[in-house]
Amino acid sequence: MRLLFILGEIGSGLRRNLSMVISVVLVTFVSLTFVGAAGMLQMQINQMKGYWYDKVQVAVFLCNDGSTAVGCASGPATEEQQANLQSMLESPAVKQYINDFQFESQAEAYTHFKEQFSNSPIVDSVSEDQLPASFRINMKNPEKYQIISETFSSQPGVETVSDQRQVLERIFSWMNGASVAAMGVAAVMIFCAVLLITTTIRLSAFSRRRETGIMRLVGASKTVIQLPFILEGVIAAVVGAVLASVTLWLMAHFWLNGDLSTQFLNTPFISSTQVLVIAPVLIALGAGLAGISSLLTLRRYLKV
Amino acid sequence: MIRFENVTKVYEQNARPALDSVSLEINRGEFTFLVGASGSGKSTFLRLILKEDKASSGSVYVAGQNVANISSWRVPKLRRGIGVVFQDFRLLPQKNVFANVAFAMQVIGKSRSIIRETVPEVLKTVGLEGKERRMPHELSGGEQQRVAIARAVVNRPGILLADEPTGNLDPITSMGIMGVLDKINQNGTTVVMATHDDDIVNEMRRRVVELKNGKVIRDEAKALYTSMIPVVGESRRLRDASGEELNRAQGAQL
Repeated sequence: MRLLFILGEIGSGLRRNLSMVISVVLVTFVSLTFVGAAGMLQMQINQMKGYWYDKVQVAVFLCNDGSTAVGCASGPATEEQQANLQSMLESPAVKQYINDFQFESQAEAYTHFKEQFSNSPIVDSVSEDQLPASFRINMKNPEKYQIISETFSSQPGVETVSDQRQVLERIFSWMNGASVAAMGVAAVMIFCAVLLITTTIRLSAFSRRRETGIMRLVGASKTVIQLPFILEGVIAAVVGAVLASVTLWLMAHFWLNGDLSTQFLNTPFISSTQVLVIAPVLIALGAGLAGISSLLTLRRYLKV
Repeated sequence: MIRFENVTKVYEQNARPALDSVSLEINRGEFTFLVGASGSGKSTFLRLILKEDKASSGSVYVAGQNVANISSWRVPKLRRGIGVVFQDFRLLPQKNVFANVAFAMQVIGKSRSIIRETVPEVLKTVGLEGKERRMPHELSGGEQQRVAIARAVVNRPGILLADEPTGNLDPITSMGIMGVLDKINQNGTTVVMATHDDDIVNEMRRRVVELKNGKVIRDEAKALYTSMIPVVGESRRLRDASGEELNRAQGAQL
């Protein structure tokens, strides 16, 4: 009986305050979407780190015809220089840091280049001997890049030593920045949502002051009087959180796993099922925020 | 049933207390009128019984319990034992007569079957049989007050507090309401009624407690609205009115 009564009260409260309730739903929806997007970006970064860090290599580029580096003053790398580098890589001093290495000749480099830029007209203007040959080194621990760099960059016939990880770090730091920005927007929006919930509950309490006044006089308990108001706010916020979760899932499903994954074949995107992990967090966050802010509002504006 | 021991209530520091060391006992089943000018402390008296306000000093006992010792989560239980009726009825305009009375039972968790059984009974007691489906705006003032009384007593409280229940009603309707309150009192409910209505008090001849500036200045059984000790040379109205009102009245005459 009391449960039915409370449900009825909630229904009438939501109906009477419909426009305010809709605005609460929308504001929580937008704010939690940003929270979720920040979460998704972090997940994406972790996913890419896990995937790429296994694959990144340190490349020791050899001099070719067009090299301008100091070490290349004597022209393209000779076979002797190349053999020397190879024996250095096999020496125990270096070997302890690396898993394995391959030699990529100019011809192989050209093939890879053509694959990578298959859609771009740049392929036609590049010839095989413009690309450098290189040793591709898989590190045991990518953090030890500095040692390889110091050992090889001063060797004759070496143009440059480059760490692919550094390129990735730049991408990740950019993605990190984006997720921090999303969190910032989310914080502002959550603040708006809390204020809006507070106002809505205040209005709701005001428009039903007759009922609550009578409830107090006939001895209704604090729970029966306050619960409908709190649940009103919580329901609105949870609806917003569900909308946010659905939006994020759609984004992951149709955008990341649809459009983007066909464009960037070798980038691992988070799957839409992974996004479902975020949904309960968003719903709990929405419900918690709404519950706490309505409770605090009622304490001030609804005498029991 | 209700006992005040040296109760003082001060709303604002430095201001005159709303109640000034009032000691009073109202017994179970008694019908008591609380009379006095506006601001004499009648409403404060009622609010202290309901624990809507806390006494600044002294103790208020309701049904043997010191209300100061009732924790906030048990206040609802105290209020379930007290029915309240106001001058302005305080009905819910969008609910019909039945729903208005049933509301008081719903919010304390009474079952639907008990509600269906009890509400018509109570409506019969207050003389509103057959008007269950009417909306408050379709009723006369007297009928609305009867609905309010039905709501106040539907949970069978031991005490009924009435704050000027006839203040908005004409004399004949008022007497009808008094009949209802009397009937409720006959059934064993203690009734405390704050009023300005001298006709009613004189007609009913019950205990009268008169307050003035927060003090009990008269407590008589089977009494009249005014003291039976005559005051020479002054009308009651003039005696009761404050100096300011007198000045205004005299100013108007000039």
